[in-house]
Amino acid sequence: MNPIIVLLKKELRVEFRTLQGIVPAALMSFMILMSLKFSIMDSVVIEKSGILWVSVLLTGLGLITHTATREIERRTIETLKLAPITRYQLFLGRAFGSMILLWILSTIIFILYSVLFENVFSDEWPLAYLVVLVGCIGISAVGNLAASSMTPMYGGWMLTSLFSIPILLFTVIEAGIKCTDSLITDSSDFQIALTLLFLYNLVFVTGGAWLSEISD
Amino acid sequence: MIKLRNFFKSFGPKNVIRSLDLDLDSGEILTIRGKNGSGKTTLLKVLSTLEKPDDYDLAEVDGFDLVSSSEEIRSRIGFLSHNPPFYPELSGLENLDFWLDLHPGDYASDYSSELLAQVGLVMFKDDMAGNYSRGMIQRLGFAIAIAHSPTTLLLDEPFTGLDDEGSQIIEDHLIRLKGNDCSVLLSSHDDISFTDRTLELDQGALK
Repeated sequence: MNPIIVLLKKELRVEFRTLQGIVPAALMSFMILMSLKFSIMDSVVIEKSGILWVSVLLTGLGLITHTATREIERRTIETLKLAPITRYQLFLGRAFGSMILLWILSTIIFILYSVLFENVFSDEWPLAYLVVLVGCIGISAVGNLAASSMTPMYGGWMLTSLFSIPILLFTVIEAGIKCTDSLITDSSDFQIALTLLFLYNLVFVTGGAWLSEISD
Repeated sequence: MIKLRNFFKSFGPKNVIRSLDLDLDSGEILTIRGKNGSGKTTLLKVLSTLEKPDDYDLAEVDGFDLVSSSEEIRSRIGFLSHNPPFYPELSGLENLDFWLDLHPGDYASDYSSELLAQVGLVMFKDDMAGNYSRGMIQRLGFAIAIAHSPTTLLLDEPFTGLDDEGSQIIEDHLIRLKGNDCSVLLSSHDDISFTDRTLELDQGALK
């Protein structure tokens, strides 16, 4: 079996046995959405999709940090590093495992967001949902790259987010917001924004794999 | 088979391994003894490719360079850490199967169960590894270390936490592996009766 698939299956199996990452991340996203629901009165902000992406970004990075920290604290990262697989396979296996977990989390967030903010996407919600899933690829790649370098350090759980947020904010998140906002406003920017989102994902996944390989 | 010449490893300003020369032949069991902090674990970790050496004239496992051929070496070595890592959410069998899935090879469908039976864990193979005792974790770690038929085995205090039966199981396995030309490098505080040679590591240098 391909080692990337083996790592992906392991990541999902470990998480689904305890749900220690998904459940707290989903509860956190509910808290964020509820806080924003009752604190933001500006209708321009509420009618756009920034709130959705902020929730996905913050709780998604929390989930990735949790899985990476778990691997370091138990030293099972040593088991992975002892396997005869390349470092890029290790990166991709972990990143794709996190991506699936992020897809599940994003689905929960999308449903909560649609309920709390009265489905701003109307009939375009399936497309908006797909855009969020595409955005998760980049978040997972950057988050995993940051987590693998930051979690061994003191305060690594915080450093992962501090390192990832500035990178993601002006790339994946900005392109994602433009995409979903264009669905709300029915503007013609959707194609360009989606292409940009795919390109950012490609850069982060291939860049992450390459950096993992050369950093060994 | 291990060959080290003028081998150095440090952590910051502290030299842990200093100008070390070491030869381990096929089918040989070598015990490294030494006080706490003498560099035993570091030596095993560097040989397992978990840590990088600082400098060396020669560092080979089975003729492969420790740094440039690390992936090849990882497929040839088995490593048992002093405190073996495992996934507590997975059963003993799943932990072993995960390790084997990462090692290409044709394994019989009941190979994992058979291996766990050999280390006395078959009754507990479907229990979550998080519920295992210290000695059971050590047995599982040993099964994982030998599962992919390594040519070189690196064992960091392999008898820690084991009862007499567990120690005997590991000893029997090591003697059998030696007969199959597997090289074994182990660290221990105790006298190992079945070892071929014993070397003393003191402040990163062999005596």
